[in-house]
Amino acid sequence: MVLDFNTLYSFPGRFDRMFEEFFKPQLADGRRMAYPPLNLSEDDTAYYVRSEVPGLSLEALELTLTDKSLVIKGERPTEQGKYFRQERPAGFFQRIVALNVPVDRDGVRATLVDGVLTVVLPKCEECKPRKISIEVA
Amino acid sequence: MTEQNTAQPVKGEAKSLPRVSPATDILEREDGFYIYMDIPGVRREDLKIDINENELVVTGRAMQGAADKESFLEVQFGPGEYIRAVSLSDLVDREHIKATLKDGVLVVHLPRLEKAAPRRIPIQTS
Repeated sequence: MVLDFNTLYSFPGRFDRMFEEFFKPQLADGRRMAYPPLNLSEDDTAYYVRSEVPGLSLEALELTLTDKSLVIKGERPTEQGKYFRQERPAGFFQRIVALNVPVDRDGVRATLVDGVLTVVLPKCEECKPRKISIEVA
Repeated sequence: MTEQNTAQPVKGEAKSLPRVSPATDILEREDGFYIYMDIPGVRREDLKIDINENELVVTGRAMQGAADKESFLEVQFGPGEYIRAVSLSDLVDREHIKATLKDGVLVVHLPRLEKAAPRRIPIQTS
């Protein structure tokens, strides 16, 4: 049998793990409950939505851009076989990112590399801050 | 992809990265055991699989390269170092372990050791 819970003879490793779990503050606040995890960032030209969706191809993901939100939908498949251990989540998931800012809808691109989805939402030209020169009469 | 050395997990510059134990499925099928590991963001060259004695150790680094000038509004995952050890049984054929990495999922196939099929010994008469 292949088992990774060899409780009896890896005490040092288990001890380390206990410590690591104890000192993991960012996992305690329940944020990780939402699946898949999302990172949102922006720079001068665009907004970026990144998500960890391992095991899915870009075709298996459904990205919808509505007026006010970006919806990421998909289903993680279950493998066939006799399970000894199952930790990877399976089934349907959906996450909605509310967009309260105008974006260039035609310039939205999505890429998927090594299980990390990146959606680039360019800021629209009209809404970038501009300098208006005031003429003195 | 399987290295038979006793290399230590990546150390040094990776020390500051948080260590993450990747979600793992272990299952059995007709042709052996399968290990599935979710390691999103790990490139093939950043992934190491070592076997020493009866333990298979997977280490990988996810750098999640983001440009410096980006400012983050929400962070729910980040760069990390994946480490997971799985102990192997004697039933596994260590010479034919195969590993593939696709879309951030590592699949390790551990075939069963071919047992000597029982056979009858013919008796010759002189």
